[in-house]
Parts: sequence; structure tokens; C-alpha cells
Amino acid sequence: MADDQTAVSGNPVIGLEKELQQITEAIGRFGSGVPEHIAIVAEPLGGRTTLVSEIRRRHGEKVHYLPLEFVISPSHLPDFSSIPEEIILIDNCRFLATRMIGGFDVLDAFLHAQISSKKLFITTWNAFSWQYLSAVMNIDAYFPTIITIGRMDTPVLKQVILSRHRPGEIRFLDEGAAERSMFYSLIHKKVHLPLMANEIFIPWIKLNFTVMLRRLPRKKRIQVSIEDVIFEKINRIARGNPGVAILLWESSLKEHTISLAAITETPYTIDLDTNESFILTIILSMKSLHEKDLAAIAGSEMNIRRVLYRLVQQGLVRDEAGYYSVPPFALGPVIEYLKKTRRLW
Amino acid sequence: MADALLSNVTAELPIRTIDANLILYIIFIIVVAYVLTWLLSFILVHVSERIGWYRTSVTMIIPLLKLLVYLVALYYIIIAVIEPSLTQMIAFSGLFGAAIGFGLKDLFADIVGGIVIIFEKPYQIGDKVTIGDRYGEVKDIGIRATRIQTPADETVSVPNFTIFAQPVTSGNTGDLAMMIVIDLYIHPDSDAEKAMKILKEALVTSKYVIISKRYPYTVLLEDFPFYQRVRAKGYVNDLRLEFEFKSEVTRRAWAEFRKAGIRPPSFVPPAGQISGASEDPDAELL
Repeated sequence: MADDQTAVSGNPVIGLEKELQQITEAIGRFGSGVPEHIAIVAEPLGGRTTLVSEIRRRHGEKVHYLPLEFVISPSHLPDFSSIPEEIILIDNCRFLATRMIGGFDVLDAFLHAQISSKKLFITTWNAFSWQYLSAVMNIDAYFPTIITIGRMDTPVLKQVILSRHRPGEIRFLDEGAAERSMFYSLIHKKVHLPLMANEIFIPWIKLNFTVMLRRLPRKKRIQVSIEDVIFEKINRIARGNPGVAILLWESSLKEHTISLAAITETPYTIDLDTNESFILTIILSMKSLHEKDLAAIAGSEMNIRRVLYRLVQQGLVRDEAGYYSVPPFALGPVIEYLKKTRRLW
Repeated sequence: MADALLSNVTAELPIRTIDANLILYIIFIIVVAYVLTWLLSFILVHVSERIGWYRTSVTMIIPLLKLLVYLVALYYIIIAVIEPSLTQMIAFSGLFGAAIGFGLKDLFADIVGGIVIIFEKPYQIGDKVTIGDRYGEVKDIGIRATRIQTPADETVSVPNFTIFAQPVTSGNTGDLAMMIVIDLYIHPDSDAEKAMKILKEALVTSKYVIISKRYPYTVLLEDFPFYQRVRAKGYVNDLRLEFEFKSEVTRRAWAEFRKAGIRPPSFVPPAGQISGASEDPDAELL
């Protein structure tokens, strides 16, 4: 989620209470002699930063915070035994591994250090990087507590966004468009399947009875607030990603006023070859990566300049001083495309 | 007596007068059936190419739809020519059977083979198969023959009857992913452990690979008299890219092997000169 979230309501982790509770319980169990390492897994802009900030706020003096900013080499891995704090919080652990021959050595060394240490490691991971490492290296075996931040449903998202403003500050402009189909909304249910260790999120259709009732004869009609329609649209475009939803909200908000027409969706037509899909998967998994790291992953066979040019030209990737990342509004379409073409497993 | 029965049956068979209109009608039905099957194939193949993960699930219904269209067309042709009763149908089937026995045996064996393929599914459209000594991707399952596109881009028509006579191997059985075996041969003095690590990493970092619990991978080492074989088994995410996958992993692994001082085997005597080696089919590959 956006780093600068300022919650007026006083609850900085709206929608993530359950996850925070699980982390607090795992920290509480630490010290019993059984390893309690924690992995926090979320999609880009999925709410990881919010959780990390709250952990640091609550356990400040006990936590050594170590954010990774770029791909590191084995020699740059710190000596964890020399850190005085009991809890080591390592942010952006995706930078511990790169998808190339020899690219797992740092991660191997880190995991070895982690299981040899008596400290508690709290690590944060990009969901797609985690999925890859989980399939390839069975990394989930190293973490007894895995917190997966799922997609957010509209009522929670509404709370998150409105908590950033004073009550009554926002004016919702009704242009008569609220009549449109709101019979159902897409939510993401957390399901625990038998024979599967982790919970999974499945898209679920929730029928909107209040809107259905609105179609009844005039006397029986129930008013649907324009707020709900607006937040439903924002969440549909953001595909349940709170960070993307907040950015969409901010870009649609004009002088504390928002209307349905102001919320626009950027259309993407994605057509990529194998090399382009592969590099896009790497950029998505790493959130942001420098061109020289991408060139090392691509190898000599691939013309990385051409691939990056094609991705930037289609608006799927942006170049910020040599660092490439997927723009927030392209995240949803890119993830859907890469899942469809089996780049994300 | 049989003659009398047959004459009774044929005498009552209300065969319509064969005129230009009837012939045109039959031709029209055949053309419509052909166009319809072509159109269905075209649309479904087009849809399957866009659908990604479930490509083969869509293409598998094409042969069934084709069979359905041809059966309906046959029904319309029969009722256009005659209006048969049950007795007449039995007599007609007898004559039909005799015709098959004499001249159209192979054709009907192929059609029956086609029906068996549709229902038993030894392979589906989109699969990579070996039928007899032919290997390639199944592009179409017709009523008479199956068309296979070989790696050299040749289209081979294999009569459907072949499935009764020869074994059929499907590399993926309806799935889009397919297991690929990649063998690299190294000098016996080379560091085999390092070679296994490099090949494993070349496999898992490939842009063509898919790995999950359903699609696992493994790297194996086997010792031979004059070389060691490092074998990687993994799934390519789209079977159309099997050769690219194999080539990419091999190329990248060998580039790293050289950097790590891992050498290829220097000399292998002809298979016949090594006792015991002649039983090993892999020795002939070198």
C-alpha cells in the first residue's frame, strides 16, 4: 500500500487486522525454542509496507529493520549473529535471488544463516517471486508462519480510503449513473482446501440484493448510495489491490469531489513474444530492477534493449533512471495476461 | 426363400425418383456439412489459440462435433432418397455391410478408427504424438485420417486405422505442458556435483519451463565407462516450444560448464568395441 498512508480513523491496518494478529501471535510464541520465522507475502502494492510499518511501530526496540534495495551478492549478506536485536525484519527479500544460473547462491546462504540462527526472522516477499521460489526451492518449508495478504473486498477498501479523509470531507457526485448494473460484485474468498497447506483466494460472486430490490416497484425501492457504486468501480478496476485502488482514487479525486465518470480504466492490449513475457515476469516479480540486472538474467541470446523498448512502448513497463517497473494501473492486466500464458504458475 | 424375402423388401422400398433436384439436394447437404465442419474447426482452433492455458480442452471437442455434423448429413441424405422402415433398414444394412466387405473395407476401418479416437482419446488435437515412426503435433483428427505436423513442418496424414495396428505415444495427453528430457555428457574427471547444480539452475531459470507440484523437475547423474550423463527432466510450459526449451537449457548449461572447467567426454570407442556398452542404447548416441 502507499507508504504515506495517514489514517485519520486511528487504525492504520484496516483490512489487515487478521494478518497482524497472526504475526503478533507468532512473535509471542518466539523464545519457546521452536523456530518461528515469518514470511509476509503480497502482490506489489498489496499492503506489505503497511504491515511492516505497524510491526516496527509496535515492536520498535526489539526489531532490527533491514530493507533490501537491490540485488545483492553473497559478500553483501550481513552477519546476522552480530545484530543485537532479537527480531530481524528483512524487507524486499525478492532481491535475495535472481532467475539465472548462480542466482540462488545468496538465498541459499541466507536460508542457511536463518535456520542456524536463534533469532526471529520476519521477511517480506513479492507474491510472484515467492511462488517461483516456492516451486523451485520449496522455500515455504523454511517459514512456519506464512502470511499471505489477499485481495481486498470493496467494503474494506471503502473503509481504507475513507479513513484517509475527515468525515464528510469527500463529496460523491451522483450523475444518475448509479442505476447501472450492480447486481453482483466480485469478492475474493479465502478458502482452506483439504490436502493443501496454504489458504487460497478464489474469486467469488456476491449478489447485491439491495440493488436487486431497487428494481422492484417504486414503493419498495431501496436507495443505493453512490459511494458504494464508486468504490465498487474502483475496486473492480484495481482488482482488489489496495495500493492501486488508492492511486486510482487519488487520480480521480478533484477538489474533494469524485464522480463515477472521473474514474477511468486504462485499456491494455497485450501481445508479447516469449522473451518479452519472460522479462515482464521478471520485472513483475522483482517490482523494480535495474537494466544491468535484467541484462544478466536475459543472457547473451536475448536483445534486452529491444525487449525493454517493446515493453515500454506498450505501456507495460516504465523506465525510471535505468530501473524498470510495471506501472500500478498496468498491474492487473499484466498479471492476468501472464497467468493466462503460464508465465506465472 | 432368401431371394423371395429380399425381393419383397426391395419391392416395398420407397426409393424416390432420382432426378436433378435430388442430386442437387444431396450435393447441397454434403457441401453444407463440409463447410460447417470447416467453420467449426476454424472457429474453435482460433478460440483455443487465444485461450492460453486451456488450449487443448477446446480443440478436443472438434472431432466430436465433426462426427455429429457428418452423421446428421448422412441421415438427411438417407431420408431424402428412401423412407425406410425397420425391416428395410436391416436389409439396407446387410447390403451396406457387403459393400464394405468388398470394396470400402479400408475406408470404413479408418472411420471406425476415427470414432474410437474420438471416444477413447488416445490423443487429442494439439498433442505431441508418435504414431508408428512419425512424431509431431496433431493438427486435425478427421473422419478418415489424423493430420500430424512434424518438427520439419511436414504435414503427415496417418490413417485412423493405424491406432489398431501400432502403438500410439502421446507426450502430453491433452495437457499443454510436456516433460522434456535433456541429457548432457561430461568427462568422467569433471566435477559431477557442480555439473548437476548448473544443469538444475539452467533448467529452473529457463524462460520456457513450468514448475509446480503437478510439474516437478529432477536432475540425475549416471555413470558410464567413458563419460557421465547428467540428465534433467522438466516440463516445457507450451509443447510447441519443446525444441527451443531443450536448446536453451543445453546452451546455457554448457556455457557455465566451460566456465566451471567441466569438459565434454574426449573419446568414446565405437559401441561394438566395449564389452557391455553395446547393450546401452545411449552409447550409440555419441
